[in-house]
Amino acid sequence: MKHDMTKLDSIFDKYPKSQESLIAVLQDIQKEFQYLPCEALEKASEILDVPLSKVFSVSTFYNAFSLTPKGDKVIRICVGTACHIRGAKLLQDQFESLLKIKAGETTKDMKFTIEVVSCVGACAMAPVVAVNDKYHGSVKVSKVKKMIKA
Amino acid sequence: MIHITINGKVVECKDGEMLLSVIRRERIDVPTLCHHEAVEPSGACRLCTVEVTKPEWDGWCDYVTSCLYPAKDGLIVNTHAPKVNELRKSILDMYLARHPKSLKIKQLAADYGVLATSLETVVDGNNCILCTICTRICDHMGFSAISTVGRGHGKEVAPPLDMAPADCVGCLACAKNCPTDYIEYETGNGRLKIWNKEFEMVACTVCGKTTVTKEFAEHLSQQRDIPFEYFEKCDECHRKELSATMGKIANWEREVRS
Ligand code: FES
Ligand code: FES
Repeated sequence: MKHDMTKLDSIFDKYPKSQESLIAVLQDIQKEFQYLPCEALEKASEILDVPLSKVFSVSTFYNAFSLTPKGDKVIRICVGTACHIRGAKLLQDQFESLLKIKAGETTKDMKFTIEVVSCVGACAMAPVVAVNDKYHGSVKVSKVKKMIKA
Repeated sequence: MIHITINGKVVECKDGEMLLSVIRRERIDVPTLCHHEAVEPSGACRLCTVEVTKPEWDGWCDYVTSCLYPAKDGLIVNTHAPKVNELRKSILDMYLARHPKSLKIKQLAADYGVLATSLETVVDGNNCILCTICTRICDHMGFSAISTVGRGHGKEVAPPLDMAPADCVGCLACAKNCPTDYIEYETGNGRLKIWNKEFEMVACTVCGKTTVTKEFAEHLSQQRDIPFEYFEKCDECHRKELSATMGKIANWEREVRS
């Protein structure tokens, strides 16, 4: 996959070229491309003067970073304790069967990615499903179809 | 200098010196898996745990990793208190469950009377205990070719992007210092393979035995000012050469004196 490298350059221009900028830079790259392309990691290592192994270590440590491309819509189903009790599994099954993929996978047309997360910190609204940056509370199985369409 | 008490004996040490270093100096046997003199302590294995207290703590004790605990004047340390032994046992019990194939772990556990784990064994468990000696040493050597990848259950030591690491020179510091011999490498035919990267070895110009990888020799000659030719002779031939020189000097001295 080819990427708009000028976009990368403008991300690097925003921060001081030192190791302290690493996470901020990776966050911006993740936001821009929905994942961290290999070339971007190599470039970050070179420009910020951080060993590639450390860049890789950081990018695999945080759940917010992904090394594989994600769909336009990333559906995060909370399966934390509260959401689990209130039926997160049913929601997961419904999403999985409608989109014909499993959690952690992306549809072929790159439109959807399903992920499961453990507690997004909104237990009072359980079960919670986040679609990109939008959080939906008290989600019912019957609402799943609409969430995919919207 | 300050004074602390270890197992009833008053010993002198530097203020702030890590307890483990004092314990080792006193030749007291405390098991460790993640400690290496050459690198910063990390407190990963928890086996060096000891009991510490002070008279003014009113009988209250703390259990700390001695590799990371700085000595303070008046500290009373017990390296083998009953509770410490219990703690080590339960740690070894967990290691045994997770790394059932490791001989080193088996041996250590047996030393503490743990012959079989009381927990469920991880069937496909490998021998990496994530002590990170390898990554710390690799950083220390200045290569940083490998690091920990992922976290939690899936955490492992690996090169970046799961490819042969560009920064690795094949120095073997990681493999040679791995406490459980987890890191594998192959040698033969004048080559070395580690982390899926292949290296050509330098051969001794006298006897043909291989010494170090070309990359490592180049690195050392450029960064540490050791002439590259030094690596073109193996340890044994270096020694032979040295003893020949010594012989010549001895002969010469004899001649001068006579
Ligand atoms: S368990 Fe789902 S938000 Fe806490
Ligand atoms: S030596 Fe491993 S925790 Fe101290």
